[in-house]
Amino acid sequence: MMTFSVATVNIVLGLVYSCYGVMTILDLKHGWRERGFSHFGLAWIAMAFTCGPHHLEHGLHAAATGTNAGFLDVAAVVVGFPAGVAWFLLRVEALAGGRGDRFISGTPRWLKVAAALGGIYAFVIAGAIAWTWRNGIDFTPRMTPNVLLLFVYCVIGYYLLRTQLGNREPSGGWSVSGVALSAVFPTCGAMHVLFATYAASGKYVVDPIGLTIDWLAVPAAIYFVWVVRALHRGSVTDWNEGAEGVRPRWALA
Amino acid sequence: MSVASGSTEFGLAGPRWGRSPSSGDMLALRVVATVRVAAAIAIAAFGSYLGHRHGHQAALLLLIGLVGVPWATVVMLNSDGTDNRLARLGGPVGDLLMLFAVQTLVPSAAETVLLGYLVVVAFTAYTAGRAFATLIVVGAVAAALGGNIITPESTHLHTSAILPFLIALVALLSLVDRTTLLQARATTTSARLQTRADTIVAHVADAVVVTDSTGSVLQCNAAAAERVIGPAGAPGSLHCQGFLGLHRGERSLDCTSGCALLRERVDGDFGLEVWRRNADGRRQPLLADAAQVVGVDGRSEVIHSLRDISGIKQAEEAKTLFLATASHELKTPLTVITGFASTLIRYTDLDEGTRKDALQAIHARAQELTRIVERLLLSSRIEAGRLEVTLEDVDVVPLLQDRALAFAAAMARTVDTDIAAGLPHAYANGHAVVTVVDHLIDNAAKYSPGGEVIVVRAYGDDERIRIAVTDHGIGMDPEQAEHCFERFWQAEATDVRRFGGTGIGLYIVQSMVEAMGGTIAVESAKGAGSTFTVTLLTSAAVLSGIPRQGGAGPAVGESTSIREFMRQIGVPERGRR
Repeated sequence: MMTFSVATVNIVLGLVYSCYGVMTILDLKHGWRERGFSHFGLAWIAMAFTCGPHHLEHGLHAAATGTNAGFLDVAAVVVGFPAGVAWFLLRVEALAGGRGDRFISGTPRWLKVAAALGGIYAFVIAGAIAWTWRNGIDFTPRMTPNVLLLFVYCVIGYYLLRTQLGNREPSGGWSVSGVALSAVFPTCGAMHVLFATYAASGKYVVDPIGLTIDWLAVPAAIYFVWVVRALHRGSVTDWNEGAEGVRPRWALA
Repeated sequence: MSVASGSTEFGLAGPRWGRSPSSGDMLALRVVATVRVAAAIAIAAFGSYLGHRHGHQAALLLLIGLVGVPWATVVMLNSDGTDNRLARLGGPVGDLLMLFAVQTLVPSAAETVLLGYLVVVAFTAYTAGRAFATLIVVGAVAAALGGNIITPESTHLHTSAILPFLIALVALLSLVDRTTLLQARATTTSARLQTRADTIVAHVADAVVVTDSTGSVLQCNAAAAERVIGPAGAPGSLHCQGFLGLHRGERSLDCTSGCALLRERVDGDFGLEVWRRNADGRRQPLLADAAQVVGVDGRSEVIHSLRDISGIKQAEEAKTLFLATASHELKTPLTVITGFASTLIRYTDLDEGTRKDALQAIHARAQELTRIVERLLLSSRIEAGRLEVTLEDVDVVPLLQDRALAFAAAMARTVDTDIAAGLPHAYANGHAVVTVVDHLIDNAAKYSPGGEVIVVRAYGDDERIRIAVTDHGIGMDPEQAEHCFERFWQAEATDVRRFGGTGIGLYIVQSMVEAMGGTIAVESAKGAGSTFTVTLLTSAAVLSGIPRQGGAGPAVGESTSIREFMRQIGVPERGRR
């Protein structure tokens, strides 16, 4: 059951992120003439095409080999799944000419509870990792990319969360699109560190295909962080340069 | 040919003197930082496939992957922008420590590591300066020698390797230091000259055009060129004859055998008055000057400066017209006042009725003078930019009805009103609306001398209300309608005589409407009258356009995923460059 869940959810997420990569390629192609090349777009495509295949490979590997999937792996994927799918569906809606976002007025009770649960979840994961290590671990260079991805995804998550917190007061609420994205990245980081933990404890085996995908994800994620930072500093020209229909900015400068 | 823009760019093919002082260093810094990240990832990734699970090699790979990659990334993230100290100083330190780790964990590679130290020193000397490079040299020597203490004796570096290494270090440091010093001096000097020249040229109001000795256009300053030369001087006309097309009197200046301006200018003069035809075929008066200089490549060049003096000419004409108009306008009531006052002084035995009539005439003409002077003062305030209006919620319906009735009574004219029911309130200034409507009705009355009916209409929707004043008088042709809001403009010079007025009424109207955030338009046909339509925003529209604080959610999400993600991650929106 555990293995089935891990395989299914990872395959769905893999397909979703890969489709999202294709969607962003189409965006980049359509906007190229008007706005020119987008480093941000390319970096995001690179991430989508490493995240997507990572989940697909993990899911297919679990399904094909019948790996005895760990509970924490399921927990991490299941928590990230709704956020990832919600963001994707909003983008599909925007592509079809719809709103592409929803607004949560104020901070409803359920959101406060969800935030508190998120904090508890992080503690539980950290505790579970420590528990897994109690009998010693065999940490090899093959687990390095997973640890690196944890840090890089947490940096991206920090940028997203900082913006959402900054937007809350002037807008009087929360953007579903932003909240979903803010949840996706830390859970992606958690998935990678849990994978590394299981691999170090001997539960999982790092296969060459997965290792290659994860190593490709590292420069992709670093490139993305570099682009975001360069855009904040104004040292890169991108699609944030004045365009029609610009809305009031609520982001932290 | 292309025209460069901006305050620091001047030239058709980039800056004329070298590169900016730190552009090369910045580029080197960024490239090395990127290469460092790529190398660290590549080594850690490649090593992870080799199957080292334990031992020194595995420790080194973990060190590079878990420390080297993050550190290299942090350095790279700080390599662009103005504050790049971390990249300049932290990068070499990290490199040194990584090389030391390689030397101690894989002693067999120690001699290769020495080459790495040399590269780090050379790069540091180039990007971080002599003082810090010296520290790195000390660090490199200490690391190289310190490695010998830690590693087994069999893998120690021998004197035959260390001595050349030390000599190479000193030589490399001296060479790079000397080279960068000379380069920095030359770059700084040329950059200062470049910046100074660029700033001067970019900030003069005149068009500056540089040609070679045959008249081919080499450069021009974009902002001034656009203002002065305009689209007529578009690329394609690469010779100054076509690009500038200057005339003096009725004669075209012939530049085929050298610059005509150079020939015709007189030393000590500030320039020649010439003219050219602008895009719409009109004559554009210019004050032109030229000077011969030797270009960077040693060839002779001619620098032309052209000042658009259309405004000065127009101002001169306007001043003359204004003096004639104001004199005429002021003279008529003054003549009446003077005449009646003289009569009252001379004939002291006039009956009470005649004296009263004379005093009323003086009073009426004095009021007329006051109105004229008030208009002139208002016009001056507008021109000086001192017109300020406070906007608020205004119900224009009673204002319009009141002014129509007042004018009908004062001028014995028929002023009809046609006001839509339920007209929303305007976001305007009540006094300014009254001034605007008064001027428009007064204008309509003046230019419909046959006593035709004047109509004031008001209509609109939730966002805008429109106030239209229509007369059935003499009207204007399209060209006259285009200029009717200009200061001191009147349809015909003879209008001053025929209709009176100072030619500033519609200028005042347009200025006040724009001060309220509105617009004014005119529809007119010669002999069929004119309709002036003022458009003002409604209060509701203005209020809904102001970003609300609290309770207002973000607008509809971006249609592109890229921009939506940018929005959510807080990338600041910037104006188009």
